[in-house]
Amino acid sequence: MEPTKTDIVVLGGGPGGYAAAFYAADLGKRVILVEKDPRLGGVCLNRGCIPSKALLYAAHTMSAARESAHRGITFTEPAIDTTKLRAWKESILTRLSGGIAQLAKMRGVQVIQGRGYFEESRMLRAETPQGQQLLTYDQAIIAVGSKSAMPKAFDLGNPRIVTSREALEVEDVPESLLVIGGGYIGMELGTVYATLGSKVVLVEALDTILAGADPDLARPIAAYAKKAFKETRLKTKVAKMATSGRQIKVEFDLDGQKKEELYDRVLVAVGRAPNAENLGLENTRVSFDDRGFIHVNQKQQTTDPAIYAIGDIVGGVLLAHKAAKEARIAVEVIVGEDSAFVNVTIPAVVFTDPEVAWCGLTEAEARAKGIEVKVAKFPWAASGRALSFDRPDGLTKLIIEPDTERVLGVGIVGVGAGELISEGVLAVEMGATAKDLSLAVHPHPTLSETLMEAAEAFYGHATHTLVRKK
Amino acid sequence: MDLKLPNLGEGADSGTVVNLFVKEGDQIAKDQPVLELENEKAVATIPSTFAGTVSRIYIKPGDKLTVGQRILTLNEGAAQLSTPTSVSKPRQALRVVEAEPGPEKAPCETESTPAPEETPPSRPSRFPPPAAPSIRKLARDLGIDLTRVHGSERGGRIVLDDVRGYIQRLQRLAAQPRTAQAKPAPQAAKPPPEEIDFSKWGPVSKQPVSPLRAVIARRMSENWNVVPHVTQFEDADITGLMDMRKKYAGVYEENGARLTLTSFALKAVVNTLKQHPILNSSLDEASQEIVLKQYFHIGVAVNTEAGLIVPVIRDVDNKGLLDLSRELEDLARKARERKVSAEELKGGTFTISNQGGIGGAHFTPIVNKPEVAILGLGRGAMRPVVREGKIEPRLMLPMGLSYDHRVIDGGVAARFILDLAKAFGGFKEEDVKL
Repeated sequence: MEPTKTDIVVLGGGPGGYAAAFYAADLGKRVILVEKDPRLGGVCLNRGCIPSKALLYAAHTMSAARESAHRGITFTEPAIDTTKLRAWKESILTRLSGGIAQLAKMRGVQVIQGRGYFEESRMLRAETPQGQQLLTYDQAIIAVGSKSAMPKAFDLGNPRIVTSREALEVEDVPESLLVIGGGYIGMELGTVYATLGSKVVLVEALDTILAGADPDLARPIAAYAKKAFKETRLKTKVAKMATSGRQIKVEFDLDGQKKEELYDRVLVAVGRAPNAENLGLENTRVSFDDRGFIHVNQKQQTTDPAIYAIGDIVGGVLLAHKAAKEARIAVEVIVGEDSAFVNVTIPAVVFTDPEVAWCGLTEAEARAKGIEVKVAKFPWAASGRALSFDRPDGLTKLIIEPDTERVLGVGIVGVGAGELISEGVLAVEMGATAKDLSLAVHPHPTLSETLMEAAEAFYGHATHTLVRKK
Repeated sequence: MDLKLPNLGEGADSGTVVNLFVKEGDQIAKDQPVLELENEKAVATIPSTFAGTVSRIYIKPGDKLTVGQRILTLNEGAAQLSTPTSVSKPRQALRVVEAEPGPEKAPCETESTPAPEETPPSRPSRFPPPAAPSIRKLARDLGIDLTRVHGSERGGRIVLDDVRGYIQRLQRLAAQPRTAQAKPAPQAAKPPPEEIDFSKWGPVSKQPVSPLRAVIARRMSENWNVVPHVTQFEDADITGLMDMRKKYAGVYEENGARLTLTSFALKAVVNTLKQHPILNSSLDEASQEIVLKQYFHIGVAVNTEAGLIVPVIRDVDNKGLLDLSRELEDLARKARERKVSAEELKGGTFTISNQGGIGGAHFTPIVNKPEVAILGLGRGAMRPVVREGKIEPRLMLPMGLSYDHRVIDGGVAARFILDLAKAFGGFKEEDVKL
């Protein structure tokens, strides 16, 4: 078999992989993109970010209808047609992945559907439905991503124990749902199912939900969970699970006490694991860390000179936009630019109700590292915009370096926080000072004003909140 | 309470610290000068807006300050002092806190000699220097360490101009040894100063060049290098003027003012400038336009112990001799006490340097850019003058008018100085009496 020769092979068609393939093609490289799924877009588009947001949106219309009763607007109980809901969600994914395929085609990026296997450092075997194909290249970029972790003890082969992948399919709405894990996936999907009508119990081994977020940002989410979920149990572990008829028998360990309960469905959301197996990487010089993530340097180079890696497979924060940034860096390094993943601000967004978002330094991190910072806050209860849609349960805060008044981090909780955080990212990336934020006029009435007012609060003169003089 | 650099006015938003008057631990009063700041226009003292004890100083001589930048922290707990007293604790006093902006000079395109190698500014921040992603990428591409670049924007943020200035300075520094080794080209950069051991010819004593002296030296050579100077001489007959001065000096004194020749000179100059507006102009080198000013702000050179300072008297055309005399005395005193504000050093349209109080005749002053002319006055002396065919003893004032030949031609200057001499002789009783 004659191998096909190209400049760059990208393995994995998720937001890291296709971004790398497109950018390299835009810079004049011949690129082949190998993706095992028939649909491009990876977990993010097919089994993660996008479908979960679609479902959260659908669920939101229901909760919004319920919450409008005290405003004098009432609806009859909604009827849920999960088949139709699924079809609508699928239509979004089809449209998006079709768009990506189209963009690949227009750029001349050749897409091969198949599993990739490294025969050696500079040769990849693609196992396509039409047979095997050998590819040789100057550089390969690995962007194979991650999958939901499923601890061995939970893996009973019972379809009632699911991960986010299956939960996003919304086969039905179980009467009772146990969510294991209070991270962003557990919280987001717990929210979806609770709204659709499941009685949700969420357990978290740590003493807080959304462990990465500052406690004051997580508080409104905990308040929401208290209302929407049947129960949230912190410092609780699942000791054992067993099949019990059409249900799952779950044994909990609550601070040393044992407790048994039955659930119709269990969602395991305890983290994500790298997709590093069965790639033939043992035939290359690529090395891994002890959790199975690929070792890379700041230039996204692995220990094999021909192979780069980006996205979830290299660890760090497992977020699509981090992968896309790393894609740019890898390609720039390949074309000879001096590019590196240094001082890049990666924002985090949790699409709960309300949303939580942060970027740069968090207050907790500053405290842990002993960094002296000043924190300026603006509570949304003082925002006319937030009150106008009945959601004053928000907070905008700035983490500020005292000497330079530079904005080191921004944290927001509240409706639409995910959209608002971008201004914070820009401020942190630009090295903006609190003064810059306070001097830039923000439109009224919008939630973006809370960023300006938080900056004004730093100087002790926010219009809509009284700050005690320093 | 933090003392920050106040608005300097006139679009100036930065300057370089040339002198620091206070130390940590000092008690200072409100309005007490804390530092001297130089920018392209002037050297000015910056007073404290509060009273208190200096608990921390964030800047040091050589630092570039931008408006709003923190200068020092005052502990208000101390007594509110009405007079400045310096209670410095020697141990603390020696410590100059190195703060954010490094001891770098502002990038200055017209500097003919390279600035000395700057040391990397020691930043208190644990974070990489603030700069936009585009600037960080550029710096990475060029291999520039941004921690060595002084950021001119708020919070020390580094912008493209800062990187450009840094590169230009590096270039000048790199060029320096090469031009020194190469054969001296006519337009080559100034070779490094030669070290001379003066003591081998006899005993010497040494004193450091004060920051103000360094500023004067730099500004003077800059003006001398950039402005093509011509000096026009003339003598003005001030016999009548001095008689009037003698006659009214007493009345002025009663009104708390000293009537001096300089007061008359201010009036005479402004009256003549009105006839020759081109001498009241500036050359805008950026836009290549001549800017004619419709105001008459006259700088008066004051000789102080530290060196030359030129405060400006505003709207001289609208003021009488009494007001001018008072203001002149006030400004001269403030200049000697180094209490002139930045504002008072700026916006001049023409300068008068009167050395008559000291003595000597004609001299050739250096034009004070961006002004285009300067008048140097010597000491008036009795001279034999031919008037209407007869030799008469008259009190004659030696004048030297230096001007920028880029803007002013010789004919114009000659007409100006003749009209000026006429103006000195043309003062009438009603101009002087109160």
